[in-house]
Amino acid sequence: MSNEPMTTKADDAIITVRNLSKYFDDFEALRDITLDVKRSEVLCLIGPSGSGKSTLLRCLNFLEQYDGGEVHLDGELIGWKDISHNPRKPLSSEALRKQRQHIGMVFQHFHLWPHMSALDNVAEALMSVRKLTKKEAREKAMTALTKVHLEDKAQNYPANLSGGQQQRVAIARAIAMEPRVMLFDEPTSALDPELVGEVLSVMKDLAAEGMTMVVVTHEMGFAAHVADRVAFLDSGRLVTCVPPQEMFGREPDDARVRSFLQTYRERNVV
Amino acid sequence: METELFVRYGPALLYGFGITILCWLVGSIGGVIVGFLLACLNRWGPRFIGWVIYAYVEVIRGTPFMIQLFILYYGGPYIGLLLTPVQAGIISFIIYGSPYFAEIFRSGFNAIPKGQIEAARCVGLPESRILWRIILPQMLVPITAPLTNFFIILTKETAILSVVTVPELLFQTQTMAAETFTFVEPFLVLSLFYWLMVVVTGWIGARVEQRVTRHLKRA
Ligand SMILES: Nc1ncnc2c1ncn2[C@@H]1O[C@H](COP(=O)(O)OP(=O)(O)O)[C@@H](O)[C@H]1O
Ligand SMILES: [Mg+2]
Repeated sequence: MSNEPMTTKADDAIITVRNLSKYFDDFEALRDITLDVKRSEVLCLIGPSGSGKSTLLRCLNFLEQYDGGEVHLDGELIGWKDISHNPRKPLSSEALRKQRQHIGMVFQHFHLWPHMSALDNVAEALMSVRKLTKKEAREKAMTALTKVHLEDKAQNYPANLSGGQQQRVAIARAIAMEPRVMLFDEPTSALDPELVGEVLSVMKDLAAEGMTMVVVTHEMGFAAHVADRVAFLDSGRLVTCVPPQEMFGREPDDARVRSFLQTYRERNVV
Repeated sequence: METELFVRYGPALLYGFGITILCWLVGSIGGVIVGFLLACLNRWGPRFIGWVIYAYVEVIRGTPFMIQLFILYYGGPYIGLLLTPVQAGIISFIIYGSPYFAEIFRSGFNAIPKGQIEAARCVGLPESRILWRIILPQMLVPITAPLTNFFIILTKETAILSVVTVPELLFQTQTMAAETFTFVEPFLVLSLFYWLMVVVTGWIGARVEQRVTRHLKRA
């Protein structure tokens, strides 16, 4: 059956992506992507705008319903109940909810809930999903906020936080659920330059603790220094997935990668 | 002269005012509830329900309230629906108001950024919890003003209920005018009553709006 673990012994892969494809109507946004993410690995996704990075990330937690192929988390098929039939049947929203609890996600624009304090943003799912009491949830939320160095901003509403602080609350909201993997979609792209560092530093701490992370980013410095591997997407295809030394260290073989990185070289980023 | 008239007709006028408030409050709160359910069904229900609701909204918004009231009160008995004037008034008020309320709620739902709802799904919140904790509290901000506005419009629509002999304010005032041949004073008093309802409704709306926008103010 389709729900059984992959038989291929991908050595300690936590996420396996096999022949993934995704269409928006007739437009092919992802084609035949095959990729593993290993436990405790930091995988960065880079590539030109519109190449399908966000779409790929969003397929991993089924915010986008992928059309072909499979995504597994710890051997469990994500999103679909049954892929042997056409059309595929999605999981019940209840089952999907269970899967998503293990997958943290951080968005470019934070998407905090503006009518709740930072603390309540983090505590909400601890109460309604983890079923902790209000007191327990707030204590746990406080621990998460402390991890992102925002314990003294716990009572602030998002409107009274800087962009960098809001993004750190969003990270705290995700890690408080103790997910098995964290997905980041351009977490620093909406930030003023002077606020990028504080968010990247929190992400580095997470990586150092062994969190498995998939990070869509234009921060080549982060990709070069923190990532274990860097994947390059172009026009919905996975062009290459290699350690950062290979991606950034020497002249890339692929012309698309070369011209993409060239724009960063010109700005002395890499 | 007039003071004596108002002593005589005061109780009837106050009774009419009470009936007006009863029909207005029960009718419009009922309209809010039905409208909310319609908006929820439209958003989360199956596709064909959406079409049914669309048709309902178009028909009700496209016909005058008085006609709807006539059809319910005089046409009802043909299908075994015998209603007292007050019952017919309240039910037709609910029918008349619900599409407008549904539209207000629909626009309220749409005002919540999609990303916030995705973020809620990502931490595993159930859809019902997303509605109550994420969508509804924020939706109050954009819908309070149009809701208040429509409540105010409805205060005056209650006057139409007099055509099916609901003993409401206008009905009582007309009775008083006809029996005493005074016109200016009774209708001035009538206006005062409506104005009172409008002012109080507006004041409550403003207070609610203040309360629900607290979090948007920067410290
Ligand atoms: N919801 C959608 N509907 C239609 N097209 C979409 C949608 N989301 C993304 N796309 C298209 O898919 C392609 C990949 O988008 P995206 O994954 O957002 O790229 P990236 O994140 O790499 O910039 C783009 O051409 C985009 O226009
Ligand atoms: Mg993107």
